[in-house]
Amino acid sequence: MASVSFRDIEKSFGSTKVIHGIGFDIADGEFTVLVGPSGCGKSTLLRMLAGLEEISGGTIAIDGHVVNDVDSKDRDIAMVFQSYALYPHMTVADNMGFSLKLRKADPALTRERVASAAKILNLGPYLDRFPRELSGGQRQRVAMGRAIVRDPKVFLFDEPLSNLDAKLRVAMRAEIKALHQRLKTTTVYVTHDQVEAMTMADRIVVMQDGRIEQIGTPLELYDHPVNLFVAGFIGSPAMNVVSGTLRRAAGDVWVEADGGVRWPLAPTVPGSDGQPVVYGVRPSDLGVGAGERSVPAEVIVVEPTGAETELLVRVGAAEIVVVVHGRPQAEPGATIALAVDRAAVHLFDPTNGTALT
Amino acid sequence: MKRIGRRSIAREAQLLLIGIPVLIWTLIPVYHLFLFAISPRDQATSGRLWPKDPTLQNFQTVFEQKHFYLNHFWVQLGNSLMIAVAVGAIALVVATTAAFAISRLRVRGGRLVMNMALFTYFIPAAFLAVPMYKTMANYGLLNNRWSLVLAMVTIASPYCIWVLKQASDKLPWELDEAARIDGATPWQLFRLVYVPLMVPSLVAVGTYSLLLAWNEYLYGFLLLSNETDLTLAVALGNFLAADDSPWELLMATGLVYALPPAAIYYAFKRYMASGLTAGAVKA
Repeated sequence: MASVSFRDIEKSFGSTKVIHGIGFDIADGEFTVLVGPSGCGKSTLLRMLAGLEEISGGTIAIDGHVVNDVDSKDRDIAMVFQSYALYPHMTVADNMGFSLKLRKADPALTRERVASAAKILNLGPYLDRFPRELSGGQRQRVAMGRAIVRDPKVFLFDEPLSNLDAKLRVAMRAEIKALHQRLKTTTVYVTHDQVEAMTMADRIVVMQDGRIEQIGTPLELYDHPVNLFVAGFIGSPAMNVVSGTLRRAAGDVWVEADGGVRWPLAPTVPGSDGQPVVYGVRPSDLGVGAGERSVPAEVIVVEPTGAETELLVRVGAAEIVVVVHGRPQAEPGATIALAVDRAAVHLFDPTNGTALT
Repeated sequence: MKRIGRRSIAREAQLLLIGIPVLIWTLIPVYHLFLFAISPRDQATSGRLWPKDPTLQNFQTVFEQKHFYLNHFWVQLGNSLMIAVAVGAIALVVATTAAFAISRLRVRGGRLVMNMALFTYFIPAAFLAVPMYKTMANYGLLNNRWSLVLAMVTIASPYCIWVLKQASDKLPWELDEAARIDGATPWQLFRLVYVPLMVPSLVAVGTYSLLLAWNEYLYGFLLLSNETDLTLAVALGNFLAADDSPWELLMATGLVYALPPAAIYYAFKRYMASGLTAGAVKA
């Protein structure tokens, strides 16, 4: 187990700079998820930590030791690849014990470690099989087993669930989380799927274009996104955003959008009358029901999912997603009133996207 | 179901329509080789499709070395074998390590070296024979069986490297990365991951260079002159030195000479199957 620290990390491929001075720390035993759209540099960052990519600038330290010039094999890390990367000519047991074999460990010890890892992952009956004889989920578990047997300082996961089908993905997600709770090994996990990030992480690092947008616990990011990018990226369905102008009159505050729509705001929000802003509200912070400050909306699509119902509605020129518990009586074409939880509304600066609230 | 069946039968028939004439065309010379080999001397060129008195006498003569041209038959067969196996083995070592270095370790300048080696194929091997002779003479290797081994390795290697490099490029890169993280040195990566996965290509390339050396005539003729150093391929050529060549013995020896390659091909065919990497990475 170990801490990891990134200091002013830069990476260039030829003349193209893909990571622009990233720095953050990962505490011992922490489960950190790097998340962002494809091409944001999250995988590159992970591969630099793994020693698979040269570090163009800055330093990476594991357990306080700078590892920039340390070979992958001497960094005491284990990595699970998206494509599993199992050795096809070796059995499951040989795959899992390969790292110990390379280290010339006692075969009895290797067998013991492989057996205990196989037990954790329910791979016991498959130890003598070859990777080609396993399903996708089993292969991914073997890849995890290979990492566990190492007993490394840091686990690295590079989009490990992307090749699995939806149902298996959810199951494996829980399995990886349970594994971490059991082993408490420092983990760095890369994904483009914000749901994976939200459900698994102790702390999330949101990246875009080779920069960190925000670092925080899942709920911090959800409740207090620092900018429009994080607001739109974290949470599903995504936050509704509407451009408009801040209005203050007679003790009331609202955002006036196209078509004269008045989006209500809490009286405590900063900002002056006439200031252009972006109004953001999560689908779950909207409800159906008439009230003093409700917003009229026309229903376009109703998507019942059982416990919840997702409504796509039109408010002025904007299309807004609403998630309500239960089964509201709404027909496409009908006009309903939207109730807004004013305390949960986010305001952003339209010029640079930073949060104002 | 039935329509698919019919379509595949039609397809099969088309292939057979091409395949059967090609097969017959290929087999005709082999048949004549066989025909000569089992004919008595005076009937060898009679033009019959089956000899009047088929005989195995020719083979006996060959095996017992009872003819002027066949005095060293077993030694020469042994030379052929030794040289072919040595060429196959050495070319394999050279090509495998080179392909690994170029494709997996991405050694700087590796591709350039490979392309330069391939460039030698622009010059016909026959033109290189004299320079090769001169080189071997400089190193005092003439009349030494190793000269032929070295020459054939030189000729076979560029193609072998190229084939293996292409095959290596198809191995998933993540396997190397996984092995590196698992703690493998380049040599361990080569031995424990790369070579086992390359077996089908290695067999193909090894067989190729082995047969290339087995069938070589020109270089053997030039570089070796001692009767007891010759390969059987060169010795067979010497049959034609005289006006009254014993055709039936030449063909009987030729038939014997053709058997090991056929045996090698069938022995190794099953290793050439693809699909060894199945299950390594998600396709």
